[in-house]
Amino acid sequence: MENAIDDTLQEKSPSTLSTQRKYVGDSVARGIFMACAILVIIIIVGVFLFVGISGLSTFSDPHARNFFTSTNWNPQGTPVASFGALGFILGTVVTTIISVLIATPLSFGMALFMTELTPKWLENILRPLLEIFTGMPSVIIGFLAIIVLIPWIGTIAAPLSPYPGEAGSGWATAIIVLIVMILPTIISISIDALRAVPNSVREASLALGSTRWQMMRKAVLPAASTGLATAVVLGMTRGIGEALAVSMVLGGSTNIPQKLFSLGAFFQPNINMTLPIVLYFGNASGTERNSYFLLGFILLVVSFLFVCFSRYLASRSVYR
Amino acid sequence: MSTQQQVSPGTDAQGRTQLAALERIVKRLHGSNNVASVLLWLITGLITLFFVAIVVYLLVQGVPYLLNPDFYLANGGTGDVGQQIFNTLYILVLTEIILVPISLAAAIYLIEYAPKGPLVSIIHFAAETLSGIPSIVLGLFGALIFVSELHMGFSRLAGALTLLCLNFPIALRLFEDALSSVPNELREGSLALGTTKWHMIRTVVLPSALPGIVTGIVLSAGKIIAEAAALIYTMGTANPANVVTLNPLIGGDTLTVHVWYLKTIGAGFEPPSVANAVSAGASALLIILLFLINIVARMLGNFIQRRATAA
Repeated sequence: MENAIDDTLQEKSPSTLSTQRKYVGDSVARGIFMACAILVIIIIVGVFLFVGISGLSTFSDPHARNFFTSTNWNPQGTPVASFGALGFILGTVVTTIISVLIATPLSFGMALFMTELTPKWLENILRPLLEIFTGMPSVIIGFLAIIVLIPWIGTIAAPLSPYPGEAGSGWATAIIVLIVMILPTIISISIDALRAVPNSVREASLALGSTRWQMMRKAVLPAASTGLATAVVLGMTRGIGEALAVSMVLGGSTNIPQKLFSLGAFFQPNINMTLPIVLYFGNASGTERNSYFLLGFILLVVSFLFVCFSRYLASRSVYR
Repeated sequence: MSTQQQVSPGTDAQGRTQLAALERIVKRLHGSNNVASVLLWLITGLITLFFVAIVVYLLVQGVPYLLNPDFYLANGGTGDVGQQIFNTLYILVLTEIILVPISLAAAIYLIEYAPKGPLVSIIHFAAETLSGIPSIVLGLFGALIFVSELHMGFSRLAGALTLLCLNFPIALRLFEDALSSVPNELREGSLALGTTKWHMIRTVVLPSALPGIVTGIVLSAGKIIAEAAALIYTMGTANPANVVTLNPLIGGDTLTVHVWYLKTIGAGFEPPSVANAVSAGASALLIILLFLINIVARMLGNFIQRRATAA
């Protein structure tokens, strides 16, 4: 088809030559744009492939077989190195889940307030504040936690901790830092979900004689439930990958607390999955280096699953 | 009241109990409504107060250092961050130079050229997945590919390429929004005049989408300035003797990386008072920058909206 047009063009006057050049330019431009768009796919496949291969080659070292079964992390150990990463994984699971559990009701509360109750002038103050905190550099929160939160918690929780001098570092502080990091994310996505519920739903509920709270609880929240779940999932995605701020306040090295099932476990130096990557990756080599890639690969796969789950939720939601 | 009138006189007592029951229900509902409202006000108030307190505290701690000209010196002495400021601006410009053309081109393809089909959904899915990846993992990827495999070493180029991977999906979405806000009539008018598609995009779509594109650039700038985890193992944490060059192959630390470094692995190298002073100053500077970015983006957004409603 295109060839036919080109042929007829070639037989005609020189002015058609410029037209032809334009068509060539158009298809070249199209090709370049397409290549740029496909670059996204290349990047994501590359990340999975290279981080995955480096990470999984950890298991070629027989000493690393205990990666998922042991908490003994001693990559340079003599005579036998040990790569038990269960402690790191446990740290991430505990801090993420608890911070999401605390942050979710608070976020929903604030999101409800901002969609249903806020006067206009207040919203004009709260929105920019939320946006700034969504993009807040994590090191700033980490720095603030170090100079304010750690001494403060250290004083309060000293009697609970087995190491009273270091009671400020650990899971408890990390959870508070994570809450500050994920609150703005969950709030702003929840606001979008609640805004997506059409006003007719609210009006129908109010017309049936319900109070504002009944309207929110019985009509708006259920209608927005999938969107709100997406918000929580994306908040968790942000939580598990949060590295710098958390590594600044955890203060641990490689070991989980001796007495894990006690309140004191929250108030002593501790670990999570991003901490060893941040602190030790730079000087690592061989199997140890690969094992940090494996930790990264686990984070990658989990966040991928979260994204898939949030997409599934979004596809089920009635209002978008 | 109406309930009372409808009740026949013989069952007056029964009516009264019914009325009392109704009143109880109403009282309970209004009570719970009030409790809920107060609770929502309280939650929002506390969160807001908390956030405002954080910002105010950081500014109060940091601004005194910002007023001291020594803070901006770039000779690598203790307590000045001139080098880090230069590195931050350098990496910001370098990343935007790579990021904007590529993500704009990708957005143009998705909005203007691509037929609706599996390719577009795959690209969107890939972008969404990429935006969910923790930045530390992309830092590992950058350290593996750009620093080791492509032999760039700890360099600004490796850092910028890693930030490209990190910010690509965000920039893509913002640019897509900008392009799709251009009304279709403009496109049809241009094509009806016999222009090619690329000519139409250059002369009609891009100029009309410009405010949205600039908003996208400004917002991605905020992300680039705030990023640290992806840069630690791609740009390194140490500065060479002279950072004030345009050489993209030297390493260096940005403001955010510097704050992290001073408070963790570099904690012993400078006295804590100096480290705290530098961190506080840098944090205040970053917050002020982010405020400015937010204000600029908001003004552009208002401008777009005004124009859209005026048209």
